[in-house]
Amino acid sequence: MAMQVQPQAPAKADAPLAHASLGRRMKKYAWGSLFLLPAVLIFLLFLWVPIAKGIGYSFYQVDFVNGNTFVGLQNYQEVLGNPDFYTAIKNTLYYMGLALVIGFWVPIAMAIGVSELKWFRGPARIIGYLPSIIPAIVLYGMWQWFYDPIGPINTFLNFLGLPSFDFYSKEHAMFSLVILETWQNFGSATLIYIAGLSAIPKDMYEAAELDGAGVWGRIRYVTLPGIKNLILLLLVLQLISTSQAFQSQLIMFGGGPDNGTLTYLLLTTREAFTYFNFGKASAMGVLMFVFLVVFSLLTIKLRKGDDAA
Amino acid sequence: MKAEQERAIMSRYDFRKPAVRAIYGFVVLAIALISVSMLYPFVNTVLNSLKSTQEFFEFPAPFFPSEWHWSNYKESFGYLNIPMHFKNTLLIFVGNTVFSLVVLGLAAYGLSHMQVPFKKAVTLYFMCTLLIPAASYLIPNFLNLKDLDLLNRYWAFWLPAGANAFYLMLLKNFFDGIHKEMLEAARIDGASELRSFAMIAVPLSMPILITITMLGFSTTWNDFYWSSLVMQEDMQPLAAAIYTKIIYAGSTINWNVRFAILSMTLLPPAVIFLFFQKYIVGGLSAGAVKG
Repeated sequence: MAMQVQPQAPAKADAPLAHASLGRRMKKYAWGSLFLLPAVLIFLLFLWVPIAKGIGYSFYQVDFVNGNTFVGLQNYQEVLGNPDFYTAIKNTLYYMGLALVIGFWVPIAMAIGVSELKWFRGPARIIGYLPSIIPAIVLYGMWQWFYDPIGPINTFLNFLGLPSFDFYSKEHAMFSLVILETWQNFGSATLIYIAGLSAIPKDMYEAAELDGAGVWGRIRYVTLPGIKNLILLLLVLQLISTSQAFQSQLIMFGGGPDNGTLTYLLLTTREAFTYFNFGKASAMGVLMFVFLVVFSLLTIKLRKGDDAA
Repeated sequence: MKAEQERAIMSRYDFRKPAVRAIYGFVVLAIALISVSMLYPFVNTVLNSLKSTQEFFEFPAPFFPSEWHWSNYKESFGYLNIPMHFKNTLLIFVGNTVFSLVVLGLAAYGLSHMQVPFKKAVTLYFMCTLLIPAASYLIPNFLNLKDLDLLNRYWAFWLPAGANAFYLMLLKNFFDGIHKEMLEAARIDGASELRSFAMIAVPLSMPILITITMLGFSTTWNDFYWSSLVMQEDMQPLAAAIYTKIIYAGSTINWNVRFAILSMTLLPPAVIFLFFQKYIVGGLSAGAVKG
């Protein structure tokens, strides 16, 4: 067998490897390289090349019929000169903030609550996760009706003697979206937090209680510090994902009313697939890319610094 | 289900305080209400799909339909060729699964159990792509597929399915747990690398393979926007077809018919979730905690 020589083999067999000839070394790598080759090519062709191309296209006027023309920084100038660009950034930040305020703490509270249940713990977890399995398009279809002026939520409000709530107005649109997305997503985050909570040693609660900490004190000084890293991780993941939101805004409101739900990525896709300004859309993609990569690197650095401390 | 006396944050002693008991009661009530609000939309969607149009708009709307109108389902087939779009979704899913598992499985096995040149650099080459935000990648990916003349072809999904660093990471983590000795033994017995991969590593890795298949299914079944760009008309998978024809901002198709289509679209993932719950939830925590 050609593969006789293995690094993990006993010391005696190891000796000849040190003087392995070039041919032998190539033979050693042949199979490994062959196993990796398809993936290397696919990653190149469908990830690295498009990214390089995307940067390239951002300096071109893309025209499928007459060919592309180099326009220098003109795409960037047009993007930065478009007032919608700033509306979109503002809306995206507003959406990210709203999702934090309304949605971020829910799975933490839910996980703590469910972990304290004496019974029904298993079903509660599964029920909480159920909305996550709803396909996005079905989700939006359902909520279009729930939010309807005569839909179930307003019917219920009227039943309680409260006035109807206009979920579709410009002021409420983003709020409506955050509610529906929190409803769909908090279950999976809850499961992750529950896993984190179960790793906290029980005797720490015992000790805290003996030291006179009340229930709230135990949550504050044992539970939350125990899942601090998980909270930070999910915070970063949520910020990254909400900064790229556009599908619910597109389906539920089409970016309106009056650009009230026009997010950054929705504007990008609109430039590309409605106005066919692929050059401008690529330029917006590059700006987003730079922002998110800097953000990711920063958080990695912060986390590393945190761990070292 | 574990030992009853196992404590969490609160001990039995805490329950003697009325304030704690009141708050605990409130928390239990809140969880119960949330659970109901989680289940209500499912039931409501199915029941709405069986109401007549007139009954649908009754105020206040009855919870149960007085008569079950299966005709809504029949009518929905007039708006959408559901079997054809369903077939498209399945084709994309099967091709994606086969392609991603073979390409990424080989690569992950290579990285974890074989001698590979420049191992660190190659790993970085794959894993770096986890940092690329999907948002900035949408437009160039579309242009790239157009340049390669892959638009409106199944290959536009199948080939890129192999470029998934997240699945690669899951596979590699799993393969790392397989004992080297087992593969050594196979090599000494004269098995080729391909054979020890297929006969030893793959059978041992069924849990992660199923998890990835499930993740792939929900991705394919969910995705409507990207596939509506890549595929046109009769080539579109179900979710994309629903997006272009049924559910969009300002759609005017009858609600009960819409709900019939939504109920049908909801059924497969619900069934799969019930059967493969363990793997789906496992994949979720594997991804989140290690990511």
